Amino acid sequence: MTVTSAIGDFRTCPFTGRRIHRQAEGLVKANAVVAIVALLIGATAALLLVLTRWQAVHLLPAVWYYRILGVHGMNMLIFFIIYFEMAVLWFCATALLNSRPAAPRFGWFNFGLMLLGALIVEWMQWSGKADTLYTSYPPLKAHPAFYLGVILFAVGALNVVGQFFATLVIAKREKTYEGSMPLVVYGAMTAAIIAVITLVHGALVYIPTFLWSIGVLPSVDPQVYRMLWWALGHSSQQINVAAMVAIWYMLAALTVGGVVLNEKVSRTAFVLYILFISMASAHHLLVDPGFGPAWKIVNTSYFMYMAVLASMIHGFTVPAGMELGMRLRGYTQGLFGWLRKAPWGDPGFSGMVLSVIVFGFVGGITGVTIGTEQINIMVHNTIRVPGHFHATVVSGTAMAFMAATYYLLPLVFRRKVAFWPAARWQPYLFALGMLLVSMGMTFAGSFGVPRRHWDISFSQAPFDVQFNPAVDLMLAIMGIGGIMAVTGALLFIAIAVKSAFFGEPLGTITPGVAMAGVPQGLTNPPVHRPDADAINEELHRHGALGPTPGTVVLVAVFFVAFVVYYFTNWKLLSVLWKIG
Amino acid sequence: MLTKVHTGLDPVPGVWWKPAHRAEKIWVAVAFVWCMVLFAMMPLWHWRGGQNPAGIRTRVKPGDFYARTMEFAKQYKVGEDRGFPIVQPPPGSDVYLTGLTFQWYPILQLVKGERYRLHMSSLDVGHGFSLFPMNVNFQVVPGYDYALDVTPNAAGDFRIICNEFCGIGHHTMVGRVIVLDEKGQALSDNPGARILGGRP
Amino acid sequence: MTDPPEKDETPPLMQRLFDNMFLLLFLGMAIMLVVYTGWGLWEVATMPQGTLP
Repeated sequence: MTVTSAIGDFRTCPFTGRRIHRQAEGLVKANAVVAIVALLIGATAALLLVLTRWQAVHLLPAVWYYRILGVHGMNMLIFFIIYFEMAVLWFCATALLNSRPAAPRFGWFNFGLMLLGALIVEWMQWSGKADTLYTSYPPLKAHPAFYLGVILFAVGALNVVGQFFATLVIAKREKTYEGSMPLVVYGAMTAAIIAVITLVHGALVYIPTFLWSIGVLPSVDPQVYRMLWWALGHSSQQINVAAMVAIWYMLAALTVGGVVLNEKVSRTAFVLYILFISMASAHHLLVDPGFGPAWKIVNTSYFMYMAVLASMIHGFTVPAGMELGMRLRGYTQGLFGWLRKAPWGDPGFSGMVLSVIVFGFVGGITGVTIGTEQINIMVHNTIRVPGHFHATVVSGTAMAFMAATYYLLPLVFRRKVAFWPAARWQPYLFALGMLLVSMGMTFAGSFGVPRRHWDISFSQAPFDVQFNPAVDLMLAIMGIGGIMAVTGALLFIAIAVKSAFFGEPLGTITPGVAMAGVPQGLTNPPVHRPDADAINEELHRHGALGPTPGTVVLVAVFFVAFVVYYFTNWKLLSVLWKIG
Repeated sequence: MLTKVHTGLDPVPGVWWKPAHRAEKIWVAVAFVWCMVLFAMMPLWHWRGGQNPAGIRTRVKPGDFYARTMEFAKQYKVGEDRGFPIVQPPPGSDVYLTGLTFQWYPILQLVKGERYRLHMSSLDVGHGFSLFPMNVNFQVVPGYDYALDVTPNAAGDFRIICNEFCGIGHHTMVGRVIVLDEKGQALSDNPGARILGGRP
Repeated sequence: MTDPPEKDETPPLMQRLFDNMFLLLFLGMAIMLVVYTGWGLWEVATMPQGTLP
């Protein structure tokens, strides 16, 4: 027996014509709001941290530095991002499929469970009962409630992922859409599957550790913990990658009418993520004693770099889809006319494009390189590691989530975007700030500066350590970039909160008329030419570089950068001591 | 025959499993070959390269490893600095280094160009071995003996920074490694600690 | 010109496999649990006892 909803459970979106389930929409909003609160805590922590690692400023005392570092990790990498992803899952399964959600009341229960878990963890961290950093490696031990809080959060999230799958089944059964699910939903499904892998490993690691913390288990093997923990910790970032790519496709469609070049190619890339990307949790274990080179090589390479192939595919199809979409709207001038004429003043567009560029060029290239078994010897636990992952998680995923919010606010919250002139340059400010943070950290790390470290002047150590003077400059760049980025983040939060709770209600949109507070994708929805299919066939037949020549040039530049950076690092490795 | 023009927000009816355009196929082929190069580099470096984290890895009891370290230090002690023994083992021998909160024990004195089997472990919590300034990093895990054959390629007075959070004294945890040149001369005074050699 | 999809046209096998969410979930979990987790645990479990030479 199927449960059907009453007609009044839905509203019709006046802008897209979609059937939106009200309860699902409520869940999207609630999860998004809590995500922003976590972002606020994390961003405040970020400012304090960056002003401490900037050795010239050295703001926090030691105990609080390590404590706030743990708070920053938890709030950004777990609470902000996973809560936002819950919103994405609810949105994709319902709004994008015209479907009702599976068991929305259970959805609210899980929202509450996650919140309870998060609050317990916050309390433990802030009160100094979990001074173990976000990774809490045994034999370092936190208060049992810390582990319990994480478990509750993870259970709630895992349940929502289950509800996402159930909703997809309902949508299929109730035939709310025809054919295969849209690519954006496919990406969300990819994120959901990786979330299952992630959270199952979370259970495998946190339950025994909790039992150890209350004295039921005598010990937890530190090496096994590290292996299982990173299957949670790194894989959770791969959920982010999949969600980010899904949002790229979504924003490409909304902002410029970006099309899907080839479903087979894009979906294959998502399938490669599903099958192989989680194995790269081994990136953190490449210089650990517990594992041999075969395990390290197979796992760190996401099985022969098949997941990197997937990323390189998306790196082509996302911009290519935008280029083709623009060409099919009539922007056909030269190689890059489509890019020049793109809506750079639309923060949904600029945020998305900056996310693609920084994730690809900085995050992706550095990540594959430093995740190479032997190159990792030069990198492990230096501040080069956060240099890498701030380019992926923050400049990539968080930035994409911010860009999506600029469309979420008018479409889901049905409010105009507040502080509109500031909103238009917020992505640039944030992206530039984060770029400086990543660059500063990466270069400081290559001079040996450690990560998660309060004092590189080593004033209390028995032996002195004289860093290359360039390090001071690098950390200052990180500090200044951090101030810019936090300003950009706080600006985003202010915009989101003002809009969602105190914003001007979005009335009607007159198509073709620009409105302050409404991104151009909604006032001037991108429409392809009526003969688009014919032009598409034509573009596919002619042209040496195919229908998207501009993108071919861009990925060629990317490829050269990749090759050069990668082999440069091998060269740097080769001058070290012989080790083996 | 292509699918109808559509975005990632549109459901896709019918058959979408269709061949890609030549430009896409070429990019996927290039990317695939590059992935194979990336993959091949690692076994290749194991075979022909000089830096690999393979080592000889065994389980030990933390207390036993520390005891062995102290025995080793006593056996080859040649000096002292700030409370730590300076230990100069014979080339080719097993060398022991223990990380404990918040110190690296002992100070090692090695000779440039000679090979040593360096055993690393922890007495208590996880530590991070980071040889400064050349940036050689390994995870030091209690209960595990990570033995790596190392050959210093430059003389100098180096430091071991701990780069895995190990408690409130983490940032005071610094060790020392002295590497003598081929003539057996130290290139820096104790406790002058000028860092020489290695990369900037 | 693209032909509209035929009502009874069965999609190719690969398309149907890719559309099978639960198959993908199973494979994703299975590969990870074998290649990363299972093998990793085996590496640690079979590590020899050190002799501290």
